[in-house]
Amino acid sequence: MSDAQPVTFHARVDKALADTALHQALSTTMNRLAANRTNAFAALPDADALRDQARRIRAHTIANLDRYLEQFTAAAERRGCRIHWAESAADAAATVVGIAKTSGVSLAVKSKSMLSEEIELNHALEAAGIRVVETDLGEFVVQIAHDRPSHIIAPIIHRRREDVAALFRDLLGATDADVATIPAMTAFARKTLRHEFINAGMGVSGVNLAVAETGSLCLVTNEGNGRMTTTMPRVHVALLGLERLVPTAGDLAVVLQLLARSATGQAMPVYTNLLTGPRRRGDSPDSRGEPDGPDELHVVIVDNGRSKLLGTELAEILYCVRCGACLNVCPVYRHIGGHAYGGVYPGPVGSVVMPGLEGLHRWAELPQASSLCGACRDVCPVRIDLPRLLLKLRAQAVQGHMAPAWLHAGMKAYSAVATRPMAWKMMGNLVGRLGAGLATHGWLSRLPGPLGAWTESRDFPAPAAKSFTNSWRPKADRKRRS
Amino acid sequence: MTKRVQLFVTCLVDRFYPGVGHATVAVLERAGVEVTVPADQTCCGQPAFNGGFLDDARAMARYTIDVLSKSADPVVVPSGSCADMIVNHYPELFADDPACQAKARDLAGRTYELSQFLVDVLGITDTGAHPTGRLAYHASCHGLRGLGLRDAPRALLSAAAGDRVADLPDAETCCGFGGLFAIKMPHVSNAMLQSKIEAIESSGADAVVATDVSCLMHIGGGLRRHGTPVRTLHIAEVLAGPDHE
Amino acid sequence: MSTARDRMLAAVRTGLMSAELPDASPERPADLPARAAQTVEAMVTRFTTDLTALTGEVHHAQAITDLADAIAGIAATYSASDYLSWHESALGWPGLIDILTSRGLRRVTYDLPFDQAGRDADVRALAEVGFGLTGSDAAISEGGGIVLVSGPGRGRLASLLPPVHVAIVRTSQLYPSLPDLLAARPDLVDRGSNVTIVAGPSRTADIEMTLTHGVHGPKRVHAILTA
Repeated sequence: MSDAQPVTFHARVDKALADTALHQALSTTMNRLAANRTNAFAALPDADALRDQARRIRAHTIANLDRYLEQFTAAAERRGCRIHWAESAADAAATVVGIAKTSGVSLAVKSKSMLSEEIELNHALEAAGIRVVETDLGEFVVQIAHDRPSHIIAPIIHRRREDVAALFRDLLGATDADVATIPAMTAFARKTLRHEFINAGMGVSGVNLAVAETGSLCLVTNEGNGRMTTTMPRVHVALLGLERLVPTAGDLAVVLQLLARSATGQAMPVYTNLLTGPRRRGDSPDSRGEPDGPDELHVVIVDNGRSKLLGTELAEILYCVRCGACLNVCPVYRHIGGHAYGGVYPGPVGSVVMPGLEGLHRWAELPQASSLCGACRDVCPVRIDLPRLLLKLRAQAVQGHMAPAWLHAGMKAYSAVATRPMAWKMMGNLVGRLGAGLATHGWLSRLPGPLGAWTESRDFPAPAAKSFTNSWRPKADRKRRS
Repeated sequence: MTKRVQLFVTCLVDRFYPGVGHATVAVLERAGVEVTVPADQTCCGQPAFNGGFLDDARAMARYTIDVLSKSADPVVVPSGSCADMIVNHYPELFADDPACQAKARDLAGRTYELSQFLVDVLGITDTGAHPTGRLAYHASCHGLRGLGLRDAPRALLSAAAGDRVADLPDAETCCGFGGLFAIKMPHVSNAMLQSKIEAIESSGADAVVATDVSCLMHIGGGLRRHGTPVRTLHIAEVLAGPDHE
Repeated sequence: MSTARDRMLAAVRTGLMSAELPDASPERPADLPARAAQTVEAMVTRFTTDLTALTGEVHHAQAITDLADAIAGIAATYSASDYLSWHESALGWPGLIDILTSRGLRRVTYDLPFDQAGRDADVRALAEVGFGLTGSDAAISEGGGIVLVSGPGRGRLASLLPPVHVAIVRTSQLYPSLPDLLAARPDLVDRGSNVTIVAGPSRTADIEMTLTHGVHGPKRVHAILTA
C-alpha cells in the first residue's frame, strides 16, 4: 500500500476521494464523535454560558498576551521551571535538542503534540542521534509507519486494525497472539512502551493550556501517556504555543468543561494534569520532598508565525484550543480526510491556521476547500467564526491576484451588468435564448469552459424562456386581464 | 391595514426558476399581503462576496440597497442564502462608508426569508396548501446557520403535508453546492452531493423541498444525472399549490 | 543586545497594535455565577453512576476495619500482594498500613534518586507491583473524577504505574464540577508539582474507534467512599 502523498492539493483530494475504506472509517468515527458531543452538550446545563465565557476568556487573554506571557514566565520560574523562547520552528527544535544533549539524553519519549509536528522535532532529535518514541497509541503507530496523523484527536482514523497488526508484526516482532485482537494489540503496545518510559532520559509533551497566574501547565490525555511522559524521565520539556494561555485556574476550569466534551463527548478526559514546576525538594534537610516527578521542567515558548498572525484580521483563530470538534462535523473533511490538506493542521481550523502561520501563497487552495456551510462555527467551544475567517482569506487571495484570470474577469463583467438594469435585461434575454436552444427537456448536460466542471457529474437547469421580472404583473393588472 | 412587502426575487429565481417567484407572490397574496416587485433588481452580490471579490460584491450590494430602499417596506426573499447576505453581511461590507452602512443596517432590519416572514412575522403556518406525495426537507446551510432558519420551514411543511413529511437523514448536512465551490472543487462537491442523494433515496420521498433554489438546482441536477425520479420543489411551490398562476 | 524573549514579546506587542480580536475586553471577564450547591447524597449518586459507566468500581467503608477489608478484598481479586502507597498520614487513616501488613499485603516504598541510572533501576523494580493505593484531595461528581495532589509522601507513581489503582475518597470532599472545586479551593492548583484528576481507568479508541482500557495508566480503578 502506497502511503506517499501526491504533490498537489487536488491530486491528494482525488486520491482520498477514491479511497472508499477511508471514507467509511471517517464517516463512522465522525458520526460517533459528533453524536457524543451533541449528547454531552445537551446534558451540560450551562453550555451556552460556558461557551460565551470561554470565548471571552480566550479573547481577553490574546488581547493581553504579552502581559500574560510575562506573568506566566515569572510564576513558572518561581516554581523552578526553566523558560526558553523560540522564535522559529528551527529555534524550537534546536532548543529541545540542546536540552537533550546537555542532559546526556539518548532516548526521549513523547506525548502527543501538534506543535512538535510543526517544528519537526522528531527529525531534529534523530539527526542529533537521540532516539524518539511517540507514546500516544495512535501517534506511535504513525511513527513506526513513517506516516502523518490525519486528525487532531484521532491520528490513525485512516487505518484499519489489519494495518496496525501488520505493522506490529513486521516492525516490532509481535506474535500472532499479540495482534489477534484490539485489546491484545493495546496490551502489546503498553508493554513495549513501558520499556521506553522507564529508560527514557527526557519526556517531551505539548501543553493544552498554561495558567499565567500560577505558572502551571495543563496537559490532558485519556491513555495516561501524558502522566508517564511528564513523571518518569528526569527531564521534562514542554512545548507551549505562545497563544495557549489563560489568566487563572478558574478560567482554565471553564475551558476544561468544554474541551473533552467538544472533542469526544466525555465529561472530562481520563487524566487532567496540572504541572507546576519540577518535583519539589524538601525544605528541611531530612525531608526529600516529593518522591517522584521530573527534576527539571523546561518550557519552550514557541512563536513560529503566531505573533505575525496575531497582527492580522485572522487573529481570532488564536482563540482555538485544539479540540477537533470542527473536523468532526465538516462535510469536506469527511470526504477527503486529513492528509489531503497537506499541513500539520487539517480541516476547518487548518484551512485558516496553515495560511495564517505560513502564508496564503503556500496554502492557497485550503480556504477555497469549503462550501461555507458553517457547521464548524456551530460546534466551536469558543465560537470562532471560521466561515468569516475563510472569507477574509478569500478576499486576500483576490487582492493578491491569486484568483484565476477568467474568474476575476467574469466577476467584473457580472457586477458591471448587475449594476446596470438595461444590461441586465439584455444579458438575461440572451442567456434565456441560448439556454433554451441548447437544453433538452429543460436541462443542459454540458456547460462550456471552466463551467464544465459542473456538468462532469451533474445536469444544469436551462434558463427559463421568460424571467420572473419579465412575466410578473401587479395584482390589479392580473385581475383586469382575466 | 394590509401589509405590503417588496419582493427581492434573487437572480437565480428570476432567470432559472421564475415559477418560484410567482409561487412566492401567490403565497403572500393568499396571506393577505400586498406584493410589489421593485423594478431593476438584479443580484445581491453573494457569489462575488463568497469568492472574495469584495469590490464587485460592494458594487452589487450598493446597487441592491438603493433598489430596495426606495420604499421602506419590508423585503421578502425566497432564498435563505440571499436573505443571509443582506441581513448578516451587507452592513459589514460598508464599514468604511457610514452613510451606506446606515442604509445597509436599515435594510438588514427589514429583510426576511419567505418562511421566516410567514411564521415569525405574520404568525401563520397554515397556508391552505395540500401537496401530494411524500416530501423530505433539506435544510439549506446559510438560512439554517446564518438566519437560524430551523423551525419555520418545517412548521410550514408539517402544516401542509402532515404525516407525509418524510424524515431525511442528515438533513442539515451541506449538499455540496457552496456557490463557486461547485466548480472550484467539483469532485468534493459531487461526493457531498452523492451522500445527499443517497440520503434522499433512503428517505422514500417523492420530492425534496428546500428554501433555496441554489441547493435545489445542485441536488436536482445530480438526481437527474443519477436517474433518480425524485423531484425538487422550492417551499414556495409547495405552499402555493399547483394552480396559482 | 536583545534576547529571543525580548524579540518575541516585542513581536506580540506589535501584533496587538493591528490585531482584530472580536469580543476581547481589557479586563478579565467576571466569573460566572456559582451554580446551586448539591447535597452530598446527590453527588455520591452521580459520582457512582459516572465512575461505574467508565468501568470503575465504587465501594463504601465506615471504619478502618471496613476500609482494610475493602482494600484486601480488591487486592485478592487481582491476586496482588504488594502495593505502592501514599504515606499513611496522607491517606488519613492512622494504623491502616499496619492492618494491611497483617493481612499479608506488602507496601513497597521508594524515593527516586536524582541520577538517571539509579532512577531507571528503581522504576524498573516498581513496575511489577500489584496495585497502588492513594487517598485523594477532592473528588468531582460530574464525570467521576478523583483529585490527587502530589507532595511529600504523596507520590505520583502509586496512581500511575500499577495496573490497579485504589483511591480512598472522602464524600465530604465531593464537588459537582471542576469550576466548583476551584472556586472553593483555589489553593489546590499549585499545592504540589502535580495535580491530577483521574476519571476512571486509562483508555484509548485509537484503533478503529474500539475502546480498550489500561493503555499506559491503570486498567482498573476502585474508589472507596468514606465519610
